[in-house]
Amino acid sequence: MIEIIRNKAKEWLEKNEDGCVIGYERASDGMTARPVFIYEPHMMGKLIFDETCVHNLSKYLLNRRGTRTAVVVKPCDSRGINLLINEHQLDRDSIYIIGVVCPGMKESHFGRIEDHPLSKCRRCLHHTPAVYDVLVGEPQPETASHDYSDVARIEGMSLQERNAFWKEQFGRCIRCYGCRQICIGCYCQECFVDELDPLWVGIRSCPEDNWIWNIGRAFHLSARCISCGECERVCPVGIPLMLANRKLEKESADLFDFEPGMDAATAPPFATFIKEETLEKVE
Amino acid sequence: MELTYEPRIVGFLCNWCSYAGADLAGTSRTNYPANIRIIRVPCSGRVDPLFIVKAFQLGADGVLVAGCHPGDCHYSDGNYHTRRRVGLLRPFLDYLGLDKARLRLEWVSASEGKRFSEVVLSFTDTLIKMGPRSS
Amino acid sequence: MARVGVFICHCGTNISGAMDITRVVEAARKMPMVVTASDNKYTCSEPGQASVRQAIADNKLNRVVIAACSPRMHEPTFRKAVAAAGLNPYLLEIANIREQCSWVHAHDRKKATDKAIELVKIAVAKVIRHEPLYPREVPVTKRALVIGGGITGIQAALDIANAGHEVVLLEQEPTIGGRMAQLDKTFPTLDCSACILTPKMVDVANHPNIRLITYAEIKEVRGFVGNFKVEIMQKARKVDHTKCTGCGTCWQKCPEKSPSEFDLGLGNRPSIYIPFAQAVPAKPVIDTDHCRYIKYLQWVADGEQGKKPPECRICEKICPTGSIAWDQEPQTITEEFGAVVVATGFQVYDHRHYEEYGGGAYPDVISGMQLERLMNASGPTGGEIIRPSDGAHPKTVAFVCCVGSRDQAKGRTYCSKVCCMYTAKHAIMLKEHDPHVQCYIFYIDVRAGGKDFEEFYLRALDDAGAIYIKGRPSKIYQDGKKMIVLVEHALMGRPIEVAADLVVLATGMEPRTGADRLAQKLNISYNTYHFLVEAHPKLRPVETQTDGIFVAGACVGPRDIPESVAQGSAAAAKVVGLFSRDALVTDPVTSVVNRDRCIGCLLCIAVCPYKAIDCETTRDKRVVAVVNESLCKGCGLCVGACRPKAVDLRGFTSQQILEEVNSLWS
Repeated sequence: MIEIIRNKAKEWLEKNEDGCVIGYERASDGMTARPVFIYEPHMMGKLIFDETCVHNLSKYLLNRRGTRTAVVVKPCDSRGINLLINEHQLDRDSIYIIGVVCPGMKESHFGRIEDHPLSKCRRCLHHTPAVYDVLVGEPQPETASHDYSDVARIEGMSLQERNAFWKEQFGRCIRCYGCRQICIGCYCQECFVDELDPLWVGIRSCPEDNWIWNIGRAFHLSARCISCGECERVCPVGIPLMLANRKLEKESADLFDFEPGMDAATAPPFATFIKEETLEKVE
Repeated sequence: MELTYEPRIVGFLCNWCSYAGADLAGTSRTNYPANIRIIRVPCSGRVDPLFIVKAFQLGADGVLVAGCHPGDCHYSDGNYHTRRRVGLLRPFLDYLGLDKARLRLEWVSASEGKRFSEVVLSFTDTLIKMGPRSS
Repeated sequence: MARVGVFICHCGTNISGAMDITRVVEAARKMPMVVTASDNKYTCSEPGQASVRQAIADNKLNRVVIAACSPRMHEPTFRKAVAAAGLNPYLLEIANIREQCSWVHAHDRKKATDKAIELVKIAVAKVIRHEPLYPREVPVTKRALVIGGGITGIQAALDIANAGHEVVLLEQEPTIGGRMAQLDKTFPTLDCSACILTPKMVDVANHPNIRLITYAEIKEVRGFVGNFKVEIMQKARKVDHTKCTGCGTCWQKCPEKSPSEFDLGLGNRPSIYIPFAQAVPAKPVIDTDHCRYIKYLQWVADGEQGKKPPECRICEKICPTGSIAWDQEPQTITEEFGAVVVATGFQVYDHRHYEEYGGGAYPDVISGMQLERLMNASGPTGGEIIRPSDGAHPKTVAFVCCVGSRDQAKGRTYCSKVCCMYTAKHAIMLKEHDPHVQCYIFYIDVRAGGKDFEEFYLRALDDAGAIYIKGRPSKIYQDGKKMIVLVEHALMGRPIEVAADLVVLATGMEPRTGADRLAQKLNISYNTYHFLVEAHPKLRPVETQTDGIFVAGACVGPRDIPESVAQGSAAAAKVVGLFSRDALVTDPVTSVVNRDRCIGCLLCIAVCPYKAIDCETTRDKRVVAVVNESLCKGCGLCVGACRPKAVDLRGFTSQQILEEVNSLWS
């Protein structure tokens, strides 16, 4: 599989001399992967692809607008590209997407690769990228349906239990904004949390402001989050951010029959409306 | 036994329908509890979901967003968007431990003075029964 | 640095009767940036306003809060007062402590007072963040476009032209005149329709301020009130009207006939034709679907397959001025206008949908409009009312009302308003044509609501001897030479049969085909039946939600000629009012985009109901949104959608609203 990736990337770079190939290389620990930017075709041997390639590389595309770029993407990452095209941030024609049929990624901690897949990969629905120029690997059938048992577990708690649960989770937030920095849907020049006038949310790390920060970010990603799980991976204090995002994902699917990132053309729920719809939970 | 808990309600009312309906409630001398504080907006579609979140974070016991009946929006489409935004926010806040009954979306036309009164009365009653917020 | 003055109104005892004004004033004095707080018995009165103006001057105030009745009541009044004191009128905020406080909390003085204090606090928090706002002026192009050359459009065009402004009257048919040209007589006066219509048509043709463009359609409309850019597609007539004199030689000699649209299929017309004798312009067009030479040219172009059509060209040969132009192509004309009046009128409901009545199956089951053509002296039968099947004079005529109206099963629940009256007219006219005729009118109700209408209906009953039977026919079928009408006689409570020589279905009105597409091009609304939607059904019947676009006549809903004419004049008055100033003043409560914060996701463009937001590229090559302030109506939908908070609404900024919320907990 890696040979195909390297060859396709090399072919493309030879035809697009000013371009860049964004992929994965072996990190300095000799075990895990890290992003790499390759500008010379003869360096293509650096590219790797294995179960430590957890990063969503499509975010780097935002820095290379106006230039030609090839990128190696997993199915979740590819949905991010569709999202960005839909929101007029990327030009499809200037990107060469090397889509990889993903075997699932594994956690790595303290110099060891775990033998179980990431939780997001365990419940992954789409094993084939949603958009690609070349597909590496045999297309896999989709998993039958969404597994929202993690969300259902929280929904099953009482109101007080939920309140206490999230108070504890968001209470740990140190406002490092790692989640925002890594998220492909977070690309605003100035985030609402950075605005001082009006001050939407205070800058300090304190329970009240952390609550607004996390809810605000999640809500700004409602019907946009493509479930790549990067936010949760990078959170230094282990907040289960996906547990919040996936609730909004479930509601978007229920209320608006919308799954973000599956294509670049469909108008997202907040850009449109249906006159006759009654959202029973509201009315 | 005296009532110690007075819920604090923030209301975002659209200028053309619900605010006018609230005015009519006054012109018709109806009566409703004094717990609500009304903020006028041109259209319910102006209401940023973050306003609602902020109001709750500050301590509001209930937030009312009121607009024109779907199809009657003075700006033709505003309330359809409000319906979607609140439609996603409400179950999300409930999931995070804020009872969805505390966020109400109501359609009140300019001629529905009595109905506005009834909405405020019923909302205030509900909030009193629910008691103060747990956090 | 804000210097806020707070003025609390007693409103007689309306406010002071329910709360402790003194306590409110004292609390107001302590609010941040409040320099002075006072109360007044009637702030809206002249002395009240004078005291506000004085206080502004004495205290060098730069922000004002008036706590009184609803801003929906007196905001304009107090804005003027503040402006008179030298302040920008938008540096004012009103706290509603009457309709939303004293009047609804009359039974708890303490709570009402507490609430009033908080409402003042909210207003102070907001007004501190107010900026001066300045309305803009946009120029107005004083030319009007009237779409639709029926009586409504003609009236509107004449009124605007007589007021001294240029008008373009656009009509998609080859001639103006609309439905009224097809009518024989009009109720209740029994005026000859063409006699009252054609002088107006001639006025339009001769008016120096009116440019008539017929046989043309709207291609695209861009722009906004005062500044519309319209692309008109002139269809190809194949006749050069600059050379043609309308002598009529060509249409007399043309050998290819086809059913006449004007006569609703009851007669034929040549392929080079004018729709009716008094057409304006009285110059022909060629029907390219039927013209023999056009078919020949098509046969050549298709590679000469099949039978060769005749190379006719008779019209070209006999035309004395050489006006036939086979190579004429459709043309696009671009014009600028300040206002548009839509008067596209109606078409008759197609009675062939009523298979149960034999519509389309039996030649002797005709529509009301078809009867008009039979009655008309310039019609296909020269004014003789005869059965289409055998040319015999009918002695018994059955009329069925509410065909295509008030009928849930056919998807048309509305009443078409005019059919009861025109059916009565038909009964009266039939009696005039033939004293021995007997008319039976099958009705559900008789609606005769206009001036002299009831008397006219009684004429049909008493003078014309029409027999009115309450009941909706269930079936009409042919038996020999007769049409049998099966109906339950509702008042007698039993079914009856009537054998008629001719059946007339009183068909309803519906908007012209394509009315919805035109409405979309103009960005105006239409309902499920494609009738155009007015801004307010009672108080703004000729305006739409789109500034500068007006509607009049039957395209808005079923109505008769006097109503349509009145609406045409009303729309014209609105246009002339719009043109009475050289520039339009826009409402400054509009959105504005901070280009540095905008990420170009264009969600605002997707949600704007007025298409008031566009995108452009900055110098550093970013695509950002930009608001057209002339189109923006200040709803704030864009602001509610914007994630990076790049767009904001002047007068209701995010900062102002957030501070209102914050102030409740400060």
